Amino acid sequence: MDTTDVVETLDKLVADSTDHHYSPYTRFDWVDELAEEQWWMTPDLLTVAGTRHARELDEKVLMRLSKWESVNFFSLNIHGIRELLIEVTRRIHTRGFELPSEFFHRFLGEENGHMWFFAQFCLRYGGKIYPDKSLPVATAEEDAAVANFLVFARILVFEELVDHFNIRMGRDALLHPLIREVNQVHHDDEWRHIIMGRKLVGLLYEPLRERGDRELRERLDLYLRRYITASVQSLYNPTAYRDAGIPEAFAFREELLRDPARVAHHETFFKRVIRFLVSQEIITGSPFREAVT
Amino acid sequence: MGADVIEQVRSWLLARNPEVSAIGWDEDLIDSRLIDSLDFPQLLLLLEELAGRELELTPENVVAFRTLRGIRDRVLAASPGADAVSHE
Repeated sequence: MDTTDVVETLDKLVADSTDHHYSPYTRFDWVDELAEEQWWMTPDLLTVAGTRHARELDEKVLMRLSKWESVNFFSLNIHGIRELLIEVTRRIHTRGFELPSEFFHRFLGEENGHMWFFAQFCLRYGGKIYPDKSLPVATAEEDAAVANFLVFARILVFEELVDHFNIRMGRDALLHPLIREVNQVHHDDEWRHIIMGRKLVGLLYEPLRERGDRELRERLDLYLRRYITASVQSLYNPTAYRDAGIPEAFAFREELLRDPARVAHHETFFKRVIRFLVSQEIITGSPFREAVT
Repeated sequence: MGADVIEQVRSWLLARNPEVSAIGWDEDLIDSRLIDSLDFPQLLLLLEELAGRELELTPENVVAFRTLRGIRDRVLAASPGADAVSHE
């Protein structure tokens, strides 16, 4: 397999990472407190956006919701980063990962920094990190090539979702400068991880495609479409609704998830990664189209 | 914890698995593929709603979440305490 293109991309990304290296521990001027009554998240990114609740709830409640949804968003980042740190560390400098190992060092360092500043934000201004709801011991994939592909495909989906939010919030003048900055700084690193992620996912999928095993490809297609759906569901946290003072939080969540107005938002969050995965013939289409029909 | 509560869990699982007609008390929900890692957070949120509190999930206690008996006797029956945060 010709890896010239991958090597060139890796060299550029490593050089860019070195040029833009910073210490996460001194990068931000953490303010003592952030007032509850302000937008903590771009209103259009809230899980109520487009629904009757966005029109009917009092603005103060929506602002409180934006606080707890931003804490939920950063908490999800923390848990997602934990998984990717574990999985990339497991693979760095092992057979098959010789090419990206130099980049992995930068990636692990940057992700560790991101996890730190997201945790700082949650603990300083929310007083907590929402717990991880995922299964602590997931069923292990026995086929190593499939496991490698799925790990990096999951990382890519997760990073693309987060990056959509970071780009929007990094330039939203409604938000406090610190909130904008946290999102912008994350995006400034994350684009490198996404470029590398796409290269790796393409590279790791190729041998699976060459097996000519239709059943395997259908299984991976279904899994990834379900993973995208599960990722979007994690944005809807009943505890965040309760913290915002919204009653009947579980029923509220169920109603939002069923609301057809939310489908277009979900499509937008994942537009880039779905387009990429479809263009590579890794998935057959958007999981959200099925939700409409 | 009333019997109707565990029946809500059973109904929720059956609704997700239309090809299944019955789930035994000790059937492993994960090994039997009634639920997988992608669905699990949805089950956990349902259990938190039924329990009326947040449930702590650890590698040590996850075994109780794998069967209907464990969910009934250990997850939903536990009173709010050190390992749970009340919704109230």
